[in-house]
Amino acid sequence: MNLKKLVFGALFSVVFFTSCSDDDDTIVETPIGAYDNGVLILNQGGFGKGNASLSYLSVDSNTFQNNIFALVNPTIILGDTGQDVGFYNEFAYIVMNGSNKIEIVNRYTMAHVATISTGLSNPRYIVFYNGKGYVSNWGNGSSTSDDYIAVINLSNNTLSAPIPVMEGPEQMAIANGKLYVAHLGGLGVGSTVSIINLSTNGISSLSVGDAPNSLEISGETLYVLSGGKPSWTGSETAGKLSKINLSNDTVSGTIDFALTSHPSNLEISNSDLFYTVDSDVFKTLVNTSTLPTTALFSTTAQGVYGVYSFEVQNEKIYIGDAVDYSSDGKIYVYSSTGNLEISKTVGVVPAGFYFN
Amino acid sequence: MLLLLFMCQFILGQTDSIVLKEVNVTDSQLKKFSNSKSILKINDSVIFKNRSSLTSLLNFNSTIYFKENGLGMVSSPSFRGTTAQQTAVVWNGININSQLNGLTDFNTINSSNYNSITIRAGGGSSIYGSSAIGGSIHLNNDLNFENEFSNNLLLRYGSFNTQNLDYLFKASTKKLSSQFSVSRNSSDNDFDYLGTNKKNENGQFYNTSTNFNFGYKLNATNFIKFYNQIFDGERHFSGTLAAGSKSKYQDFNTRSLIEFSNFYKNTISNVRLAYLTEEYNYFEDKDLNNFSYGKSETAIAKYDFSYQLNKKINFNTLIDYTRTIGFGSDLKENKRQIVSGIFLMKHQLTDAFLYELNFRNEITSNYKSPVLYAFGANYKVSKIYTSKFNFSKNFRIPTFNDLYYQAGGNENLKPESAYQLDLIQEITVNNLVFSISGFFNKITDMISWKPNDSGLWQPINTNKVKTYGVETHLRYDKQISKNQAIQFVANYGYTISENEMTKKQLIYVPYHKLTSNAAYSYRKITFYFNYLFNGQVFTSFDNKYKLKEYTVVNSGIEYQFLKSCKLGFQVQNIFNEKYQNVEQRPLPGRNYTVNFNFNL
Repeated sequence: MNLKKLVFGALFSVVFFTSCSDDDDTIVETPIGAYDNGVLILNQGGFGKGNASLSYLSVDSNTFQNNIFALVNPTIILGDTGQDVGFYNEFAYIVMNGSNKIEIVNRYTMAHVATISTGLSNPRYIVFYNGKGYVSNWGNGSSTSDDYIAVINLSNNTLSAPIPVMEGPEQMAIANGKLYVAHLGGLGVGSTVSIINLSTNGISSLSVGDAPNSLEISGETLYVLSGGKPSWTGSETAGKLSKINLSNDTVSGTIDFALTSHPSNLEISNSDLFYTVDSDVFKTLVNTSTLPTTALFSTTAQGVYGVYSFEVQNEKIYIGDAVDYSSDGKIYVYSSTGNLEISKTVGVVPAGFYFN
Repeated sequence: MLLLLFMCQFILGQTDSIVLKEVNVTDSQLKKFSNSKSILKINDSVIFKNRSSLTSLLNFNSTIYFKENGLGMVSSPSFRGTTAQQTAVVWNGININSQLNGLTDFNTINSSNYNSITIRAGGGSSIYGSSAIGGSIHLNNDLNFENEFSNNLLLRYGSFNTQNLDYLFKASTKKLSSQFSVSRNSSDNDFDYLGTNKKNENGQFYNTSTNFNFGYKLNATNFIKFYNQIFDGERHFSGTLAAGSKSKYQDFNTRSLIEFSNFYKNTISNVRLAYLTEEYNYFEDKDLNNFSYGKSETAIAKYDFSYQLNKKINFNTLIDYTRTIGFGSDLKENKRQIVSGIFLMKHQLTDAFLYELNFRNEITSNYKSPVLYAFGANYKVSKIYTSKFNFSKNFRIPTFNDLYYQAGGNENLKPESAYQLDLIQEITVNNLVFSISGFFNKITDMISWKPNDSGLWQPINTNKVKTYGVETHLRYDKQISKNQAIQFVANYGYTISENEMTKKQLIYVPYHKLTSNAAYSYRKITFYFNYLFNGQVFTSFDNKYKLKEYTVVNSGIEYQFLKSCKLGFQVQNIFNEKYQNVEQRPLPGRNYTVNFNFNL
């Protein structure tokens, strides 16, 4: 046996493995250029994985593109855990929960404009009013007393004094110069909506169901959907739909769900009210006083394990499916009666639809 | 008859030497019942040449893949394509994987605390219990009963203000053996992310571990030994390319073991009592006092009885009682008691052929436990060629987090189970050792956390995984002349780890990994290279997202002077490779270390 050869062979294999490594097989794609007349899909990405992305689907569904932020801005990492997108004038504000920042892009071209990376701590959602952006922030997850609404001056993207609020501010709505904040809860479970007068910063609050997860305004009424406490808390409570009269900020009516039914994703489109429970989509009328007993349709045929994101627009129902939370997610577009029309593979964990 | 008598006498006469051989190791099964396994022992000279974390030692000296959440951060292994919880770490014969999350964080083990570190590839659950599926890593402190008095001090200083002190003191006589060691590591860990204008922020860490080991020979046949280890560390968890971090994490682990052994004729009785604690505190914001924590306390009583029936047949039975309590901010406090019975047998059938049998059965109220077993054979085909075979059933039990995490813990979990086949060929010629192992592993009831239909993440027994591949090891040593010596070691692993339902490769399992070390010494100077090639790994279940393959080379020079002193200089990542082994978490580019070693 020739030992020299053997040793040389082993050394040679070192070179071999280095040189035969395959190159990046990224497909070169060019930006479409105009991302209007369609829906932007925010793909949250995995927490800590820094792989949030945006996808685009045109209204006529003929044009579709993934990863549009990175295509237009190849040197910028969109960030970790995309949470929300808000539109204001020609800008899109992309709230990155894990990265504690907001990326501002031109909403039609995706070209990067600015980054807000201070004054945010666990940011969740963004709304706009009168030249200002309001961002709900959880603060540290382990603290129940450091939650706030960050206030962005939209003319120069600087932050003014934040508005401290109760624990777990989540989705928000604006009406009559007032900001309505649903307190989903963080460490604990919330059960209120804060009402902030934006000219005086005076705060009052109203009780709703446990864990209010979504809210919508229709006419002079704010609809707040609460999921209820899940069974693992040991004190399960039923979901609840609360109606708040915006003219006097009082609860004008409530509808209780069955105890083990935990609804989310409230959407109002014209006179129709939609929500989801696990993988089922329900539809009723806005002015209803009872809940439907049967679902409009179920997404289980598409393998959707609980609806991850949901939107209704122009008689179409958009559903995001997180699949296994690691692989690329899926979106499905259904007709208003629940017929599946389009399905697309998007980025990791599609978390929201934003019509542009 | 005369022959038999003669043999008996021969065996009796041998008792002393058996005692001498077996008394200094506590993990006696590693030596006696691993004849049909692939064993790779890393001795202290190699241990001292590497950075002191077990991650970096094994990364450059084995085919085990490491997933490191940034340098010095949480580090978990993938051995033969298995998950992080399917590698057991065994400290002086005691399985020390976390009771809370089932794995050992390899950056909380300082490799310089041990005299030898052994990698036992493949299934070993019937001896070492839960998690020994991909293989087991054995950390041993050997107590020698010979006259010795030594002090060893190692000081290292490197880039990013990385400081390391290792001190080992040994004093022993024929009656008494003692060791004390302390290891202190700290680093600012603020290296630049290559190709960006960012730095590794909030990555500073420090840790201290102390070891005290003591053995006393009561008389010619009775020994008492005591081992103690304390690890205390704090790491700020570094951010990623995409997100900053302000968190920190503290570990506090203690391990104590007391052992009484009695050597009587051809029997060895051994009683071991061990007490292990682990504790972590996680601060989401390092500046706040809010933290979450988890803690477990484990008491183990073991009776180990070994009987040498004759020159050829050895029996070993063990009874193990383990009681663990686990509690924490997110854990429903719970207690787990396990009684295990283990039976081992080795039979040297002919001079060239031996086989070994292992059985283990556990009784516990917390989950259903299968009977575990292993059957292996070792055939010395010729003077230079040995062939080994091993078939085993192994498991990984659900952890406290899997069972009792609030919310999501699932008390109805079964253990993961794995059938495994190993075929090993070894060639030893003079200065050359070459081995090639083929392995096949079928793992069922894999526990994975998935969201249920109301969005709550829960662990379930779901996946089936098939892992198979080849590992090769080559080692060549030669004293070329009076002044020159060379050493060359290479390990290569090819691993397929396939989810049987999706036919996709498991995430963070590279198909290829190659490590190689070469050293050349001329008189008092030694040059060495450590080479690591890590093939690409997938980071998503659909195998769409991946991390690029990378090559990292370290090189160093060491100079011995005044007989007892050594001065060394090392360059890590000499080619300034830009690489990550966890997405968005770059590892350092070229960096430097100087070290000084004093031996007395």
